[in-house]
Amino acid sequence: MPKILKISFPEKCVGCEMCAIEAQRQLRKIGLEGALIRVFRNTNSKLGNIEYALEIDPRISSLNVDKIQKICPKGVFEVEETD
Amino acid sequence: METRPRKILSIDLTKKEYEVKSFEDLNSYIGGVGLGFKLMEMYYDKNPLIFAVGPLNGLFPFASKTAVVINNDGVIEDVYLGGSISLRIRYAGLDAIVIHGTSQEKTILDITNAGVSFKDPSEDPEALGLPGKRSVIKVDGSKILLGGYFTTPEHYLEKEFTDKNISGIVVTGTELINIKDFDKYEDLYKKILNRKDELSVLEGTYPSVLLHSLVACQYADRIYTDVGVVFSCLNALGYNYTHEDIENLPKLIEQTLRRIS
Repeated sequence: MPKILKISFPEKCVGCEMCAIEAQRQLRKIGLEGALIRVFRNTNSKLGNIEYALEIDPRISSLNVDKIQKICPKGVFEVEETD
Repeated sequence: METRPRKILSIDLTKKEYEVKSFEDLNSYIGGVGLGFKLMEMYYDKNPLIFAVGPLNGLFPFASKTAVVINNDGVIEDVYLGGSISLRIRYAGLDAIVIHGTSQEKTILDITNAGVSFKDPSEDPEALGLPGKRSVIKVDGSKILLGGYFTTPEHYLEKEFTDKNISGIVVTGTELINIKDFDKYEDLYKKILNRKDELSVLEGTYPSVLLHSLVACQYADRIYTDVGVVFSCLNALGYNYTHEDIENLPKLIEQTLRRIS
């Protein structure tokens, strides 16, 4: 059954990029060029209140999304199974 | 990845010029701080601001600090900057950035891989580089902050930015790193990641000390003071160092520091 990686708690993201790096590693890539997850800092956020936004390429479903979900230290993601 | 010369981006603020230099003879300075001290010796007369990373930065867990080496009125200081800049330097294909001279007018350094643009200070540093692949160091109120959060102690960056007429530094890295034996690398990566209980920090306290992330550094002393672990990491990346090279490093750094102090 296909699995979908969902950004359920973006407000928890601290921008460590472990998710993006894990996804790249599964593609046997080191670096962020062509990354299927991108992490952006919200530059409008005030000092001491740093916020991040994430984008996920739908092709992420071809990877082991459970591993990506688990590597996040803040629990930003959830994995949903689809029919 | 084979053992390769250290790749240094040298930026001359006075002439608004830059060049990438490769130094084979810097290979014995394995980590970021050792490399930073040696570059300080080489560029001493030019009063450089140095950002240096080691070979494990951006590649292995808990090795993410960037060594910042400056000459503070004759005292050589090494401070450590958290955040993502070490990743950007690594993904730019560089080992260090050496900024020297003084700009005639305020400038923002927009660095993408081995290229540098000298931008007008009226530009917004957050609009430079590539989103999601950049780190931004800029004036934030009375401070100089990386990513709106990370800074150096004693206002060292503020002093350097003022003295050199720098308004901001943006580093973007878009290169992909080839690893000769990827399976061996990945196996070692996971083993180190699983040693998070050995870190001397509490989980989730600050972005810079998150367990299970690439950011822990001095809190990971119990892992990276083990010469065997460091040797294995370097070996997995294809470096041909010996145990003696690693064991001799503290002495080499001490000697270098003594020459410039």
